[in-house]
Amino acid sequence: MPPTNYYGTGLEQGYWGLMIVTYPYISGLVAGSFVVATLSQLFGRKRLAPIAPLAAILSFALLLAAPLTIWGDARQPSRVYELLTRMHVPYSPMALFLLIWIAYVILMLVELYAVFRAGNAERAAWQSRSLKGKISSVLTLGVRDTSATSLRRDERIVRWTAGIGILLAFLFHGYIGFIFGSMKARALWSTPLMPVLFIVSAIVSGIALVQLVYLAVSKWYGWTIDREIVAELNAWLVGTILLDLYLDVVDLVTSGVRGYAPEETFEWFNRLYFHGPLIWTYFGLQLGIGIIIPLIALMTRRSRLSIVNSAIMAFFVLVGVYAMRWNVVAGGQMASKVTNDVVSYPIVGTGYDSVQTVVGVFAIALLLFLFFMWGAPWRTGVEQPSEGSGGSSGIASTAVPGASTVTEQEVQSTTQGIPLTPPLPGSNSPGTSNSFNRASNGEKELQSLYPSVTNTQTQRGRS
Amino acid sequence: MPISKQAVSRRSFLGMLSATAAAVGGSVSLLGSKTARAIRVVARPSAAQMQRLLAYYKTKPRWASWLVPELNVNDGWQRWMRTILNSKSLPIVHDNFSRIGTTIRQPHHWVMVIDERRCVGCQACVVACKDENNVPVGVYRTWVDVVEIGQMVPDPTGAIVTDHGRFTNNIKRSSMPLICNHCDHPPCVEVCPVKATFKRADGIVMIDYDLCIGCGYCIQACPYNARFFNPVQQTADKCTFCAHRVDRGLLPACVTSCPTHARVFGDKNDPTSEVSKLISTTPTTVLKEDLGTHPQVFYINREQEVYDKNSVKNTVYPYTANLNSTEYATLSGNAPLPGDTGGQR
Ligand code: SF4
Ligand code: SF4
Repeated sequence: MPPTNYYGTGLEQGYWGLMIVTYPYISGLVAGSFVVATLSQLFGRKRLAPIAPLAAILSFALLLAAPLTIWGDARQPSRVYELLTRMHVPYSPMALFLLIWIAYVILMLVELYAVFRAGNAERAAWQSRSLKGKISSVLTLGVRDTSATSLRRDERIVRWTAGIGILLAFLFHGYIGFIFGSMKARALWSTPLMPVLFIVSAIVSGIALVQLVYLAVSKWYGWTIDREIVAELNAWLVGTILLDLYLDVVDLVTSGVRGYAPEETFEWFNRLYFHGPLIWTYFGLQLGIGIIIPLIALMTRRSRLSIVNSAIMAFFVLVGVYAMRWNVVAGGQMASKVTNDVVSYPIVGTGYDSVQTVVGVFAIALLLFLFFMWGAPWRTGVEQPSEGSGGSSGIASTAVPGASTVTEQEVQSTTQGIPLTPPLPGSNSPGTSNSFNRASNGEKELQSLYPSVTNTQTQRGRS
Repeated sequence: MPISKQAVSRRSFLGMLSATAAAVGGSVSLLGSKTARAIRVVARPSAAQMQRLLAYYKTKPRWASWLVPELNVNDGWQRWMRTILNSKSLPIVHDNFSRIGTTIRQPHHWVMVIDERRCVGCQACVVACKDENNVPVGVYRTWVDVVEIGQMVPDPTGAIVTDHGRFTNNIKRSSMPLICNHCDHPPCVEVCPVKATFKRADGIVMIDYDLCIGCGYCIQACPYNARFFNPVQQTADKCTFCAHRVDRGLLPACVTSCPTHARVFGDKNDPTSEVSKLISTTPTTVLKEDLGTHPQVFYINREQEVYDKNSVKNTVYPYTANLNSTEYATLSGNAPLPGDTGGQR
């Protein structure tokens, strides 16, 4: 059925609606959460290692949902295969989409395989009869080895994929910025700052999302929240927000000051953001809620350790980044190309390219994420019951059904250190405490720590 | 497109005209007497014949613009199926547009000259285009902005007496026909991810509606807002310079319908064509020259203020632009115009 909602009133219309506002948002979250995962996988921020698997599946779920936005926005969705058969490279930035996306999906599959292989192997050994165990055994692709050498190999794969992946993530998201930035027809889009602005705000939103998801997941399962992780994420958040603020200020100065900007750019920037319909989303949401308030609220270490504060600020940042996407995508189109009028750009509630479809895309991303959470042994490390209930390690928790409902105990002191549970091998660089121990001291210590591994070994011996 | 009664009369008119032209000296002409497709081209006129032809043109102004574009017989106008005239065998490019005219032979270079001194803002071309190309309601392939520039000046001796004092009218009305510029370096073509839109070697920028995925990139990339989504076929759409007519030796519909001959269409490669002469003898401008798109629609006496947003403080009446034709009702009621800048109505 042809869409019945048309934007605007007449010739000049904002054809790229809410779905295209959401598209850079989601792909930014993909890139951002991937960057969070690589912080520990590649850059040795070992404290963040426990949440790396979570960030990775979050990134993957969003990655799978991301194309739905542009697919839903295309007027002839049945012809998308032409993006592969009639690809207009290298002239059209958009033509690269499917190529980059497929490459990214493949890379993520490799990385997720390596991240979760050991966990899958253990689960397959423990729950060989259950559906989960069967899935896990398939997902190991037959490699059930959990010895130190195999763990180190996984780690190496993860490091490589993280290294390539971060380039791909920047490409995947940066080219969207380039799509806008390369459009000389639109005064407010055509700035070389655009790709950089997009990537930086993507990282900001990714960190905030991982933060929020980590807090939500821990609350949901009643685990103790590791405040060091929260604080570290907040520290990264503050750093990237500062960078974002810097770029926003540069953008503001080079577009919003008559003396520095091309006349058309200045006129529209001035009319839309300073006096026009976008004043609230720009100053209120993008700069205020998205940048200034989080910066102030996360200023001190004390405030960065506060869970409630972090959750609220992460939410604020997510809202602010969405507002930034809105300001760019909608604002660019509100600036008329051929008349002096502001093009109307209404938000459509239901139907084609509407709030409804955007909610749908997010719902699909959430469903995918929940599905991966169900399927992947990501809990290792994140799951952190209080110290009293020792013995419930990550590995055991994936093995023992019901381990997730560990009794909630007293909230730990704010300076709780590295979790007792070793992080997943892949998510840790060599030399980090626990996986290092596992690697160096070999199976003996491993067995004393995790009796479950013994079983795995024997099973492997049998098979 | 059904052949209407009008087409029949058009044909007989053409027959008459070409008979006259042939009598004058075998000018190029189009005879649609047998079939709509058959194109008979007399050999290219000699210099003397051309002189006589031009003299004839001078005595008989082309008020109705019924003359055909000047054609070059060497381009194979008689061999319809096998030659360049058949748009199916016309080379098309999707990028690297400077190839046209260098490595790709450019048989014609169709351009339009719009003489704003003559435009009266009657919108006949808009209607003709909609009629010819079946353009849906609410979108336009060509449109004419009619704007009023200036304001009422308070003047103690002014002729206009109101409750608020006397004024002198310092408002002029200007109209500006707009159309796809068939740019020589069209950003819209370059960005299409699936090569659905293309530039023909004769300069016409077109869209293959069977390939377009409807991503809207080209619509965003056109600096002139010449493209739109066709709400019926759900693809990008825009002016084609009436390629289906031009390929058969006819003029675009808007050109034929213009009562004041404000639109002139022709081959810029042909130095004797009216467009070539206009461009070489009259100062012309193109829109948004600074963007480097090399538009091929040339304006004579363009009202700068109409198009450059930053000086259009007093645009009060953009009428096809930015107004949905289905909402024309608002013009007569009290409802504010969308995006009204608050100027005088
Ligand atoms: S005017 Fe617009 S649609 Fe026409 S060729 Fe130029 S850029 Fe393309
Ligand atoms: S809307 Fe159609 S013609 Fe335009 S860029 Fe997209 S696929 Fe190409």
